[in-house]
Amino acid sequence: MLNEWLLALARWLDTHEWSTGLHESLYVYAWVETTHVLTLMLFLGMLMAIDLRMLGVGFTNIPASTMAARLDKPMMIGFAVMLVTGFILFYAIPVRTTQSVWFRIKVVLLIAAGVNAWLFRGKMRASVGDWDTSPRPPKRIRVGAGLSLGLWAGVVLCGRAIAYDWFDCYREMPRWIYWAAGCADELAALE
Amino acid sequence: MDVLWFFEWLDASYLATLSKSSAGMFAVVQMVHLLALALLGGMVLLGDLRLLGVLLRDVASEVVLANTQKWFSIALLGLVVSGVYMSAAVAMKLYYNEMFWAKMAALVVGVVFVYAIRRPLLRHDHQSISPWVLRCVAVASMTVWITVAACGRWIGFS
Repeated sequence: MLNEWLLALARWLDTHEWSTGLHESLYVYAWVETTHVLTLMLFLGMLMAIDLRMLGVGFTNIPASTMAARLDKPMMIGFAVMLVTGFILFYAIPVRTTQSVWFRIKVVLLIAAGVNAWLFRGKMRASVGDWDTSPRPPKRIRVGAGLSLGLWAGVVLCGRAIAYDWFDCYREMPRWIYWAAGCADELAALE
Repeated sequence: MDVLWFFEWLDASYLATLSKSSAGMFAVVQMVHLLALALLGGMVLLGDLRLLGVLLRDVASEVVLANTQKWFSIALLGLVVSGVYMSAAVAMKLYYNEMFWAKMAALVVGVVFVYAIRRPLLRHDHQSISPWVLRCVAVASMTVWITVAACGRWIGFS
């Protein structure tokens, strides 16, 4: 049901002239993708600096709250750029991306990373006064930072893997992969 | 100086066979390359934006730079190792790719700049260095590393 609805939405986006134009443009698509990848330096770079501090392995002579507070803004600017360029990349190739199992895992991991960041922020605000200048933050903070780095590594891996056609709908695949990738037509043909 | 022999040797090496053998492993190495790019870029931006007085103004710039320099070197090592692994799979294609050579040229400039100019200079008390010299160093550093990264992404398009 959801798969059919998402596919219908993607097919509707695919009829847009701008979607086709972006996809077929030699330079605009490449520049948007380059911006998306290079902004990793800003977004993920700042996030890594914060998480290395929270893990207690880097920037240990700078208070944890200073790192979190000062790097939050550039990190969020980077995230905004990644989100906007990400939507444009999706809009340029809506049907294939909707039916990409990697894109789907990426979205799930993004949501998980967002929830983790929100929980982490709460845990940190509640206790940072006690360990702000200590090089090694408490265990629950280190676990949260490790989880954050792991989830974002997963997001990057899935993002990179979208470019491969290993699990594209045109392939012969088990039923559950058709379902997970949202290959609605292929699933219907099996009925 | 023609280095074709090196690329022919790399193309026939065990590393090339290994790198071509698994597409899944190749994608994981690409992820490592991208994560190391994020770390390297983050350290470049953090250090240079501190020198420009944009970020972390309430922490001494010597302290910020000492931290970023350590993680920069770790990231660079990760990038070179994962980069060599990926290059082995497409050695001959890279030899004839202009963007690859643009990236290598920018990379050499960047490495020489960081280890021969930026680091020795910033070992001095930053107060004793002219603010304009610091600003020029920061802008040059960001420009060269963004160029390396952009040329790298463009290898795939060209």
